[in-house]
Amino acid sequence: MSNEFLVFDHVTKRFGALTAVNDVSFSVNKGEFFSLLGPSGCGKTTLLRMLGGFEKPDSGRIFLEGKDITDLAPNERRVHTVFQNYALFPTMTIWDNIAFSLRLAKLPKKEIEEKVDAILDMIQMSEHAWKYPNQLSGGQKQRVAIARALVDRPKVLLLDEPLAALDLKLRQHMLLELDTIHDQVGITFMYVTHDQGEAMSLSDRIAVINRGTIEQLDGPAKIYEAPSSRFVASFIGDTNFFSGEIVATEGDYCTIRPVGFPDIRAYNDKQLKVGQKVDLSVRPEKIRVTLAPPPPEKGASINVYPSTVQDIVYQGVYTKYWIKSSDFRIAALKPHSRFLLDQEPITWNDEVFVWWHPDDGYMVEAKQ
Amino acid sequence: MNSPLRTRRAEWLVTAPSFLWLALFFAVPAVIVLAFTFHGHDISGGVGEWSLSTWRELVDPDYPTIIWNTIRISVEVTIWSIVLAVPCAYAIARMNSRWRAIVAGSIMLPFWTSFVVRVFAWKTMLHPDGWLQACYNFLSLSGEHSTILDSETAVVLVSVYSFLPFAIMPIYTAAEKFDFSLLEAARDLGAKNFYAFRKIFLPGIRQGLVSAVLMVFIPAIGSYVIPQMLGGTNCVLIGNKIFMRAIQNRNIPHASALATVMAVSVLIPIGLSMWWKKRQDMRDRQRLEAQTARLFTAGEGAAK
Amino acid sequence: MKRSMVSVMILAAVLAFLYVPIILVVVYGFVPNGISMSFFGSDGSFLGFTGKWYKYIFTGHQSVRSLLESFWLSLIIAGLSTLASCAIGTTSALALHKWKDRLQSVHHALVYTPLIMPDILIGISLLMLFAACHVNCGFWTILIAHITFCVSYVAMTVLARLQDFDDRITEAAYDLGAGPWYAFFHVELPILLPGIVAGGLLAFTLSIDDVVITSFVNGAGTNTFPTYVSSMTKHSRNLPSVFALSTLMLVFTCVLVGLSKLITSKGQSKLKPKAS
Repeated sequence: MSNEFLVFDHVTKRFGALTAVNDVSFSVNKGEFFSLLGPSGCGKTTLLRMLGGFEKPDSGRIFLEGKDITDLAPNERRVHTVFQNYALFPTMTIWDNIAFSLRLAKLPKKEIEEKVDAILDMIQMSEHAWKYPNQLSGGQKQRVAIARALVDRPKVLLLDEPLAALDLKLRQHMLLELDTIHDQVGITFMYVTHDQGEAMSLSDRIAVINRGTIEQLDGPAKIYEAPSSRFVASFIGDTNFFSGEIVATEGDYCTIRPVGFPDIRAYNDKQLKVGQKVDLSVRPEKIRVTLAPPPPEKGASINVYPSTVQDIVYQGVYTKYWIKSSDFRIAALKPHSRFLLDQEPITWNDEVFVWWHPDDGYMVEAKQ
Repeated sequence: MNSPLRTRRAEWLVTAPSFLWLALFFAVPAVIVLAFTFHGHDISGGVGEWSLSTWRELVDPDYPTIIWNTIRISVEVTIWSIVLAVPCAYAIARMNSRWRAIVAGSIMLPFWTSFVVRVFAWKTMLHPDGWLQACYNFLSLSGEHSTILDSETAVVLVSVYSFLPFAIMPIYTAAEKFDFSLLEAARDLGAKNFYAFRKIFLPGIRQGLVSAVLMVFIPAIGSYVIPQMLGGTNCVLIGNKIFMRAIQNRNIPHASALATVMAVSVLIPIGLSMWWKKRQDMRDRQRLEAQTARLFTAGEGAAK
Repeated sequence: MKRSMVSVMILAAVLAFLYVPIILVVVYGFVPNGISMSFFGSDGSFLGFTGKWYKYIFTGHQSVRSLLESFWLSLIIAGLSTLASCAIGTTSALALHKWKDRLQSVHHALVYTPLIMPDILIGISLLMLFAACHVNCGFWTILIAHITFCVSYVAMTVLARLQDFDDRITEAAYDLGAGPWYAFFHVELPILLPGIVAGGLLAFTLSIDDVVITSFVNGAGTNTFPTYVSSMTKHSRNLPSVFALSTLMLVFTCVLVGLSKLITSKGQSKLKPKAS
């Protein structure tokens, strides 16, 4: 275990009756961009604060490069945090803010100057060096906070919802910038967020956290395409769930019979047997909605259901349809380029066909 | 947090200076004062044996009159101060921020002159041969030309003068936070100006009113310099009596007993205001909870 | 609006009421006759203004010697009690802010109660303490008394400032490698400084103006400026000197405050965030 870079080993933290983190174990590779993703109150910030040294676990250990750092004070570990509200020192200039850790380390003056100037250059803030934090915009404060935490090259950089306080445009810009900075410095980033979009676009690996435990730890694509639980599937993006029993299997495929919906064919990657209960997740963007029935296809026959359009929500890039099919209300997304290809625009109360390939459904949970 | 500053020892270290200082020079003396009230006094100016004689003597001579006068005058001063302070605070709060700073500043400016000097200035002004007395004589058409100096009137007048800024400031602070568009909304709904003022503005600044009352009433009860310099023999309050008994007559038990009475008459309104605030907070919370509950049931109804 | 007109008029009247004695203080600093406090001679002729009271003050004339002595004593006591109460009051506020346990609720009561007690009670109870311990009253007892009532004011002012303090900033300092002492002196203290200065100014004002508490614990012969002035209950010859000295103090404080306003407003315009 000790040859891994950063290890959480059976870590538990309680606040009174509440168990914020429940027996969590995982490890992070060196140089990785690692995200902790989950709804608010799931324990992700507590995990981060334990790594920063601001909370002490009730049980379990945390190892950094094989060294037990569980009991070290925040100022004794080479782990720096970028706080959600930046927490810049208001009485110091930007330059002094960034030089803070270097001065504490008692580096020679010249070296401090070189390092601070270099990182100011990297975040393109050189001309703001002598301003005070309250003279900066949100995005600038953010960059300074990152520079301040990076300047003495910590082993791990912790980022606690760093983009939450920024507006949408700036957030997208900062996402790219964070990615660039991570590539440049090669330091391990540990990123806490409740925003799946941020986590997806930045991370090498994501730990999805719910109620103090890790639900799934995988790369972004795997988490989206192959969610390990109903929670993960619904927390990461939209999805349609069909709960039912497997009534038949044929090769790699099976047939599921949900209550209140016709049979569905799906890819049986878990090799489940007849009689087992499953939750099938079908993402809205994988469902097609057409006025005409789909053309006959080869191979495994696709799932086709005649339905009625209930609601249409125009969302710019996509249009979202809410479609009544049997007892279900199915969400489907349609990009507008294809919308143009349709012979007739779809509107409310139209009789339509919804259809998807059996490979596009994913069975997330096998209930015994 | 793991920081060493959060340990128990650090807490003691940081708490100790103020805690020990105030325990020694505030709490202990208070206990001593209370203990002295249960002693008799001896003629040499010392403290006598344990006895209840002091409390018995307190009922008898002119003390009840003095206590009653002090409370009555303090209430008068408080009422005058609040009545004047509310329109002032209202007027300042309705100004633009530039004027607000100027006027609020100029209300505090007189405080940069020594309090005693200001009281002395009043004494000079109220001199029987002075122009204020002349105005007073002119206005009191009854022909009874009593002097203002060395009377209760002078004490009330100068007390209001001295404590008025303490009444204006908390009310102004509350009024500044008050959302004046509420008054417009009330008028929009048909309320007359004064009705809106009374029903919307006054309840809106109630916290400021409570602290204003305390800010005036407490120093008024403890007043010593003003009656001393302007009240003469006609207006002796508890404060003067305490000083007289403690310094001049060396009757320490009597002074202690009077001090205890004063402390009680200050603690009662403070206790009342705290109880009232607690009750208000509880009511607000109950109202909020009831509302939330109603919202929830309404939401459920809609979902079904 | 009619309603606001009424309130503005009341405000104007109140301001006049507040300023009449101040104007009088300034004017009577130039009065020629110090005994009758009148600008007119016995025959009703106008005697004009005189600057002699100011001359007495600046030359240290013997008639104002004890007045000036009391004034210096006041300054020294106010300065010392401000320094001491800033130190004690700041630690007190830090303790009240950082910990919330039984000790702190007792501590809070100890700090808060002096604020709601009339001065005279603090005066008499300290007198009793000093009498019970057979301490001779004088400079030190005055200083102790002043520190005692100033501590609470400083503590409450700093505590109010701490309420707006973002604890994450301290965490950030620890996180970047600072120990508690370094974090306190380099990060927390500079942020708290305006609050401490405000508390200190309040303490200084209260101390230099206090007459009630001082008159209980000053003993014989030790007079601060306020107790000296109040001891002149009958009209004394020195009254115009008192007024002249007060005018000087008023002008001095006005200039000081004006300067500090100018500096802070300049600083603020410099600190104003540029369009982002």
